[in-house]
Amino acid sequence: MAKDREPLVGVTGSNGYLGSALVAALRAEDLDVVEYRRVAPDVIGNAEVRQLDLGGPMDARAFEGVSCLVHAAWDLRETDPRRAWERNVEGSKRLLESALDAGVERVIFVSSMSAYFGTKQDYGLMKLSVERAVLESNQVVVRPGLVYGAQSGGMASTLAKLARLPVIPVFSGAHQFTLHVDDFLAAMMTLVQSDEVPSSVIGLAHEPATSFKEIMLALAPGDGGGAKTIAVPWHPLLGLLRVAERLRFPLPVRSDSLLGLVRPASGVPGRDVAHHLGLSFRPFSVAAE
Amino acid sequence: MRVLIVGAGPAAAAVAIALSKSSDIEVQVIDVGGRLEDENDAARLRMSKSGPSDWANGDLRTVSQTAVASKRHRLPEKRVFGSDFPFRDFGQLEGVSVEGDLNSHVVSGAYGGFSNTWGAQTMVFSEATFDDWPFPRSALEQDYRAILNTIPYSAEEDDLAEYFPLWGPADALPPLGEGPDRILRAYERNRVRVRRNGVLVGKARLAMRGAECVSCGLCMTGCPYSLVYSASHTFDDLVRSGRVDYVGGYVAQTLGEQEGRPFVAARSLNSGRVETFHADKVFVACGALGTTRLVAQSLGMWSRRIHMSESQQFLVPLLSLRGMKDLTQDGSFTLNQFNIVLPFDEAGHDLVQIHGYPYSKAMDDALPSLLQHQALKGVASALLKRLTVGLGYLPSWWSPGFDVLLTRPESEGALAGMTLTPSAAGEELTVPMLRAVVKRLVMSAPYLGVVPAVPQVTLSAPTKSYHFGGSFPHAREPKEDLESDILGRVRPWRDIHLVDASVFPTVPATTFTLSIMANAHRIARCVIEESRG
Repeated sequence: MAKDREPLVGVTGSNGYLGSALVAALRAEDLDVVEYRRVAPDVIGNAEVRQLDLGGPMDARAFEGVSCLVHAAWDLRETDPRRAWERNVEGSKRLLESALDAGVERVIFVSSMSAYFGTKQDYGLMKLSVERAVLESNQVVVRPGLVYGAQSGGMASTLAKLARLPVIPVFSGAHQFTLHVDDFLAAMMTLVQSDEVPSSVIGLAHEPATSFKEIMLALAPGDGGGAKTIAVPWHPLLGLLRVAERLRFPLPVRSDSLLGLVRPASGVPGRDVAHHLGLSFRPFSVAAE
Repeated sequence: MRVLIVGAGPAAAAVAIALSKSSDIEVQVIDVGGRLEDENDAARLRMSKSGPSDWANGDLRTVSQTAVASKRHRLPEKRVFGSDFPFRDFGQLEGVSVEGDLNSHVVSGAYGGFSNTWGAQTMVFSEATFDDWPFPRSALEQDYRAILNTIPYSAEEDDLAEYFPLWGPADALPPLGEGPDRILRAYERNRVRVRRNGVLVGKARLAMRGAECVSCGLCMTGCPYSLVYSASHTFDDLVRSGRVDYVGGYVAQTLGEQEGRPFVAARSLNSGRVETFHADKVFVACGALGTTRLVAQSLGMWSRRIHMSESQQFLVPLLSLRGMKDLTQDGSFTLNQFNIVLPFDEAGHDLVQIHGYPYSKAMDDALPSLLQHQALKGVASALLKRLTVGLGYLPSWWSPGFDVLLTRPESEGALAGMTLTPSAAGEELTVPMLRAVVKRLVMSAPYLGVVPAVPQVTLSAPTKSYHFGGSFPHAREPKEDLESDILGRVRPWRDIHLVDASVFPTVPATTFTLSIMANAHRIARCVIEESRG
């Protein structure tokens, strides 16, 4: 990125799990950060916070002065695929166009390891669609794996809750590519600050994958020493979850999330780029957390 | 600098567009120059001066003759303003023979070439297509934009932009036909479900002036208002403005370089005499096969099989449960209205594309003969009301292509014999990939509201797609005499540049002509830049 001005980093979804951690890390490095939130107070502390709703119209002025934009916002409240598409996919594409029109030099889209060619998962398909638009604009896509670490959020937090059950459900053959939150933050710091980052998809995750059973036992209280597991056939469970969703039954896990767990990506993309940039990802372990 | 362009199709037009910006370059075009018959042109001209309601029936009958069925091919051969002039032999097809069910009308002698009759689809190649090329798509971007800023363009931003950016200001498309509109609305409603099956749908992108369209439905037989782009429009403009000296009535026989200066020997169709044209630079744009023969004949490549890569065409009738209210082509345009894109990899390299056509009168004649019987008219009508014709294309690496074999000309001043024969290269993938395509369409059928008529899905014969090329593919460092450098130069020539699809390293399944024009523009632009140091 051009170095003729002090870089201002924008982060969308700054009140989410990854977004908030990233904002804190960027500020700890003395970088100027502007946060984007759906509902923004005028000022929070010393931080600049701007209002941005994926479902609403975009104004290029919202990105004034921003040199690098990390787009981590994603509205998971909408479960209807059509409305979720309009909000997240179309909204993200509008955001991308506005940001580039406003002169943002680098956009880093926080996608997901669920986004891979051939996925049947709605969430993965939607992320993939945004990825394509980002790549067509010569910008950068990152696909974090299953993020874990201190004060886990997102899917790891849900799995940790399930791991507290007396008998932990596991799925035969399921695996995940994992990512420690500190490695995520270090990688993002590099991507934000490097002079050159090629337009590509960069998987942020440790390879090889960790089995789902191993993850669940590690997340279980007491390191899973005495935990019992039960192999659950996922097809009937998926069907049950879908029926329950139709009946608007409140559920701890969505059918679409289950699909992401049992049908993960086969590998981590962009390892050569990650290696070139010096990104590294530790093997899965929660022992020290 | 004096420049000679051989041919007057889209590649030639793109070179002329690039050169016309430099006033110090003298541009001459030699071309076969076949024209629409005077009577048909007069009818077209009269119609262009009034609205459809004022058209004389006789004129309408003259210009709207539909395609002519062929016994050997499933798809009939189109007619333009009632004429076959884009396909007719004005001398350029001399010595062409084919084996099997290949198509022999493979070189156009028309002023404007095959762009007089093309489908006008206008899409850039996907970025991943260029993984097989010696330069990235970014090397072509300014040329794509230059062409899209010059020719008429109607397009809209939709899901297809994920692989194919618009890259130019565009008109909106005119109103769609009932069937295509219903399919696109179904896609909007069920997008995620359809995409789960690896299918994307979006509106067509066309080289037409959509804002001026009066929806008379005559696109497939020639737009009376000339709203659909033809390379002849570019040459008309450039000749009128004095930027191009156009010389019609010549068939190029050989070319070469003498004492460091290129020349083209061409036979006059009037006198039969061979005349020699000299220039500082020559751009060869006779269409992939015309250029292949001209170059191979000039270099004496006798009895060598030259492989042509082709994006093979297939036909997939799509049937819906709900039919159109009225069976008419009026009130809409009848070109391709929507595209179905089926990616087979993440980057968009392995893509299959299907163009969706609404009802047009040409379909009446293309029905099986049984359904054309008077007694079955009601059945035929019910069928046509529910039919959308999908014309699909597989990429050249899943298509067999065909081979070209040249033999010495029978007499001095004649064109070399050119025999087209089927090829087995890539054939093993053609049928399995077509099955994979059909499977995805079947899986998506409940959500798109159209079912592929699977037994009627057919592959067209090689050569029939007209999307072929690659006889002298670009290479960063050409190692063989059947390769060209990135400026389209074949050894040993330095100032002769091939600019049509003959230099394409691959032929993807996506639309073809815009990329031919962009690449020709790139070559011409780079040649000028190079010559100026």
